[in-house]
Amino acid sequence: MALGLLPVFLLAQQSKIIITPPAQIVTKPGATVTETLKLEAPPGIHVNSDKPKDEFIIPMKLTWADGLLLTKSITYPKAEEIKVGSQDLTVFTGNFTIQTVFEAPPKASSGSGAITGKLRYQACNNQMCFRPVTADVHIPVVIE
Amino acid sequence: MRQLKLLALFLIAGTLVLLISHSRRTPDITRADTKVEGDRKPAPDFTLKDASGATIALSSYRGKVVLLNFWATWCGPCELEIPWFEQFEQQYKSKGFEVVGVSMDDDGWPTVKPFIAAKKINYRILLGNDSVTQLYGGVDALPTTFMIDRDGRIADVHVGLAGKDEYANEIQNLLAGRETTDSSRGARPVAGLLTGATK
Repeated sequence: MALGLLPVFLLAQQSKIIITPPAQIVTKPGATVTETLKLEAPPGIHVNSDKPKDEFIIPMKLTWADGLLLTKSITYPKAEEIKVGSQDLTVFTGNFTIQTVFEAPPKASSGSGAITGKLRYQACNNQMCFRPVTADVHIPVVIE
Repeated sequence: MRQLKLLALFLIAGTLVLLISHSRRTPDITRADTKVEGDRKPAPDFTLKDASGATIALSSYRGKVVLLNFWATWCGPCELEIPWFEQFEQQYKSKGFEVVGVSMDDDGWPTVKPFIAAKKINYRILLGNDSVTQLYGGVDALPTTFMIDRDGRIADVHVGLAGKDEYANEIQNLLAGRETTDSSRGARPVAGLLTGATK
């Protein structure tokens, strides 16, 4: 059975969003910086937006752990509205970005490190859906 | 020895290429050829809780045709199939047919019970887990539906949204003890999906 369903496993792997590794953030104490996370949904795949219309749909959610930088705001792109069967969905497809505004604490010490985040999403195509995924995101940070 | 290693590497690489190229043809993996009776493998047994807290074993359905549907509340294509399954449950239950839904919601009953109520689902829902999905090949995509004959053997599997008429034909044929043929469902066979159905 496991070998027979391997093509489905591979399709599930191919449904995963491609996350471009973010560039290093270089900032100063008290300054704000906007980081753009570049994402790509594979062809034929859509992921639910951050504000789905149905309460049971799993929204996309990016969270950052407290660390070197403080999270001030997270902005998702404008969602597309599509219809699958009789369902109205708000989704992201193709290339899209999520912007996060970070602030370095005014009393932050100079040095380097990283901030870590988690991107949770759930993908489908027109025929099937794949289990929710939580992907780790790391951004190297230098505070001058 | 070296030649054997090369041959093994070649075979593994060839198999991977075939599997990957096959996986890119989405429509092909959504349905499998209904197995003739002699080729059907037993549906792996499991026990799960239903919404009332009762422990249910799949083997307790022996003697009935079962539509075993892995689904989740967040799955749009699954939601499309639910009204069909409700209709099948009503239409064929007296003839020895039952729908069994296995929810794969991580949040469990607090999410699933309101959904059952909102959709007025009239068939039994069980709360699934990864141990059970592993018995059925991992269930990486939803909906995934197994058609099980009266002897507890897997007669067919559908990965992804299938057609209502296709399900109805299969149910009727399995209830009558007939083997569903490609001509009755207009489906292309998929090699491998039903092979080795036992763990």
